[in-house]
Amino acid sequence: MSIEDDEILQGFVEESLEHLADIENDLLAIEEGGADIDVELVNKVFRAAHSIKGGAGFMGLTVIQDLAHAAENVLGLIRSGKLVPTPNIVNVLLLAADELQSLIEDVGNSNTVDITSHTAALNTIFEGGEAPVATAKKAPQPERAEPAPAKPSEIASPPPQVVEELQAEVPTEVEDEAEAMDEHDVEAEHETDHESDQETAASEATAGTKTRRSSGGAQKTDTTIRVTVSLLDQLMNLAGELVLSRNQLLQTITSGDVRNAEAVGQRIDLVTSELQEAIMLTRMQPIGNVFNKFPRVVRDLSKKLGKQIDLTIVGKDVELDKTIIEAINDPLTHLIRNSVDHGVETPSDRLKKGKDAKGLIVLKAYHAAGQVVIEISDDGKGLDGEVIAEAAVKKGLITADQAKVMSEKERINLILLPGFSTAKKVTDVSGRGVGMDVVKTNLDQLGGSIEMDSEVGKSTTISIKLPLTLAIIPCQIVMTGGERYAIPQVNLEELLRIPASKVVERVERVGDAEVVRLRGNLLPLIRMSDVFGITPTYYDPVQDELLPDQRHNIADRRSKSSPLFRDESTPAAEQGVHASQERKGTERRQSASSALNIVVVSTGAMKYGLIVDRLHDSEEIVIKPLGRHLQQCQGYAGATIMGDGRIALILDVSNIARMAGLTSLDGSERAAELADAAKEAITKSRDKQSLLTFSSSIHEHFGVPLNQVERVEKIKRKDIEEVGGRRVMQYRGGSLPLISIDEVASVMPLDDRDDLLVIVFHLAGKDVGLLAIGPIDAIEINADIDDVTLKQQGIMGSAIIGGRTTMLVDIFEIMKISNPQWFEDHAAYAEIQIDEAQVPTILIVEDSNFFRHQVKGYMEEAGFNVIEAEDGLVAWNILQQQSDEITMVVTDIEMPNMDGFILTEKIKGDKRFGHLPVIALTTLAADEDIARGKAVGVDEYHIKLDKERLMASVHRYAKEAMAA
Amino acid sequence: MAESSKETKTTIELATFYVGHALCGMDILKIQEINKLMEMTKVPQAPDYMVGILNLRGQIVTIIDLGQKLGLGRVEISNDSRNIIINAPGEHVGLLVSKISDVIMADPDRIEPAPANMSGIQGSFFTGVYKTENKLIGILDVKEVLRLESDNLGRGLER
Repeated sequence: MSIEDDEILQGFVEESLEHLADIENDLLAIEEGGADIDVELVNKVFRAAHSIKGGAGFMGLTVIQDLAHAAENVLGLIRSGKLVPTPNIVNVLLLAADELQSLIEDVGNSNTVDITSHTAALNTIFEGGEAPVATAKKAPQPERAEPAPAKPSEIASPPPQVVEELQAEVPTEVEDEAEAMDEHDVEAEHETDHESDQETAASEATAGTKTRRSSGGAQKTDTTIRVTVSLLDQLMNLAGELVLSRNQLLQTITSGDVRNAEAVGQRIDLVTSELQEAIMLTRMQPIGNVFNKFPRVVRDLSKKLGKQIDLTIVGKDVELDKTIIEAINDPLTHLIRNSVDHGVETPSDRLKKGKDAKGLIVLKAYHAAGQVVIEISDDGKGLDGEVIAEAAVKKGLITADQAKVMSEKERINLILLPGFSTAKKVTDVSGRGVGMDVVKTNLDQLGGSIEMDSEVGKSTTISIKLPLTLAIIPCQIVMTGGERYAIPQVNLEELLRIPASKVVERVERVGDAEVVRLRGNLLPLIRMSDVFGITPTYYDPVQDELLPDQRHNIADRRSKSSPLFRDESTPAAEQGVHASQERKGTERRQSASSALNIVVVSTGAMKYGLIVDRLHDSEEIVIKPLGRHLQQCQGYAGATIMGDGRIALILDVSNIARMAGLTSLDGSERAAELADAAKEAITKSRDKQSLLTFSSSIHEHFGVPLNQVERVEKIKRKDIEEVGGRRVMQYRGGSLPLISIDEVASVMPLDDRDDLLVIVFHLAGKDVGLLAIGPIDAIEINADIDDVTLKQQGIMGSAIIGGRTTMLVDIFEIMKISNPQWFEDHAAYAEIQIDEAQVPTILIVEDSNFFRHQVKGYMEEAGFNVIEAEDGLVAWNILQQQSDEITMVVTDIEMPNMDGFILTEKIKGDKRFGHLPVIALTTLAADEDIARGKAVGVDEYHIKLDKERLMASVHRYAKEAMAA
Repeated sequence: MAESSKETKTTIELATFYVGHALCGMDILKIQEINKLMEMTKVPQAPDYMVGILNLRGQIVTIIDLGQKLGLGRVEISNDSRNIIINAPGEHVGLLVSKISDVIMADPDRIEPAPANMSGIQGSFFTGVYKTENKLIGILDVKEVLRLESDNLGRGLER
């Protein structure tokens, strides 16, 4: 009997598969119930077997019919209570269900398959009723029974060889039966039908332009999907709406009514998004379709391994795109098996560790941030990062140095590296050398990600994040080289814009690698134009055009923007003419054109920054496949059509990393290297002093600590008034006293020119201006300060800056000498009025000789006793010996041996010294530093060499201490 | 090509066009449309004979510079240049040509085999030549033009 109507057959197959999907879990429930039979449940299974039998009989599928019949018989006995469903009976039934499934999936060849082993086993149970134990074990054909439970994932596509083998067997076995021969002939005929079906389906799929991912489609035959009628009705409705809207639009265009066009546009917008949503819904399927098979997988496996495991499933209703549902089947099966095999321990091991003998695996699906998260967690032995790292080192996947700098989580995630398998012994369940990396690759293809988390001895949690659908994805649009590109939002971590003035600070080079420091972590940078060989351009927002970018690497900006190197690289003409404010406004490095736009993307364990020309909006895009001729271009995942009708390419973030030679290992290696470099840089920068440099005469250069400067003004010589033997200028409605360095120190007189600069300081509650000439600059130095050679009145020392000897001006001293009366009535500078015997003693802790001498000078000047210490450790020792003498501690933060934080912590934590006030001096007063200082007990923070404030608080604390 | 010409014994219509100065032709039935859309998106890293990709009413069409592909040098985009859109299996492909010429009724029997080296053009891209009164038309082997280098496996089977 040939199968005439494909549609009916298709219907039968779908219906039967649905029945079978339920049967499995129902049988497991029946097994659990044992003698306590749930009649309703057994009835359900019975009815399922019965309807498969009926359908198969109608279609002439005798083999399926026979098998279903045999199963139905046994179920009938169970239903009537004549048979107790022991695990062995259920096992036979499960195997029969498996066989039924594979028969139905390959319905065309089903009549040629030998099922005698199954029917025999079932019939023995049916006839004997009481003796199922022995039969069930023998009955199933060993080669079919064994692999079946072990690899249910393969059922979906039974290997063709197996079918062929079975076909070859059939004629010899049933040759003598004429009926069977007939069937075989018919079968052959049908087989050709079936093949041609497949061919047409395949060619249709190839021809179809909706082939979604380039790799998909072509090989698979067309599958069908069930959609509820109500959803179809909704689609129909929306399609009707769309047609109406189109008519309106056409009318509007003809009549040229602009206002109406807007309304029609909105309407179309609305209908389209609703339509899109509804069509998406037709593709959505509950994840339960995949989850439902896992109770069986866990049951079979744990039995085999002698483990006791409960599986809890949460969130079966979560819906995902059909394609994704199909594709996550294998990875999930692998992960579940891993949990059973490697995760959960044997009952005896568990009892030893004080756990319940029964292990628990939780499979959970839920929505989060527009994605579906699937979590697989077990309460087993967990993953040991150390062991994993060690194994990875042994296998040569990473170096020992790399392993050292990794966090525990990073180490655990090493398991995802290709060629990694932690199983000590190779079992046939999992750990066959192809491990998690395959899972990861599969998920990457779906645009998903995987992350492992574990606590040794307690638990392992694997979370998988998947997009809801592959067809329409939200993307970030970027522009490089005049073309737009889309980066899937799944890969997007954040957008980063580094203003031109910060480029040097943030972007560093180590070897060939460019990195940016992002919240303490180093992020490798890839220039998109480099990877794709696009002529580098940068966007000039002023002229609204793209200009070719001549720089070869980001660091080339250094010459333009770094104050450190400016002296050598900037032409002198450019330097001298303008005063600072004006220059800052016009300088090229300040314009946005050379700012860096970085898209921080992540793919699996890897994270990097992609430098693009411009950042645009984020948009929902429809993925379209690229033609055959572009398949070789690995950097793209497809293309999409933008609102203006032009095409944008979708970037494949992980392939770009590969093309740029950035593997995750590379990344971590570089990161480690750079982390060291960065640390060094930070320690260096800590002792830096920011200076404002200027001149007074052409040949002498001066510097003054930048934090003392209030502002810099440009004035003309004629603005200066000589009144009462003093020079002043009008400034903010008052008179600003002006002095020049040569009035106090023996340096060359102020240059005689029309354009002058006034550096305004705020001292002793008053403003004062220091006359100077350009060029001025703000720089950071960590050069040694020589406080001997050039020291004189008003000059605290000198340093070599930019190849020139620069004198450091002591503005306090200058003011004090030129205007001594200012300081007399100012409390902060009044000499301390106390008994000689009770002069407060201050411990100054500072590793830089210059600063220490400087601070000591201030203190002694004010009449305090001073004890010096070069670092925290020395200070601590001094404290131990002379604890009763010391009134307060003034300490630097960055010091060798023991830093200021630790010293403060020790002081504050000690009963003997806890009462001592601690004043911290620092060049960097970053918020986190201040917070940390406060946390360890620093009483007050001062920027280095802000004498006035420092002395004010020293006086205050001294008074308090004296009073107490 | 050979097959289709056998079926329509009487005459076939050849759409002719210029690639640079070379006159080429192809069976008009293989052409879906000819258009003048030049809003192409460049694809960095693509083979050099690819001009870019084009949005043809919602479909991504790969545009091939026929001149570059045939070894005649780039086709300059001008007022005369056109895309010939061909229905290839599974996708649409556009051939960028310098200028569209007439449609010619040709007698398939008079198509002569292509000389190995046709005035500097790579002969393998042509199935034959057709002589009219004053012109010589190279008949393009579309399959060959669209074949990728990586497709060489299938080559023997189809021929």
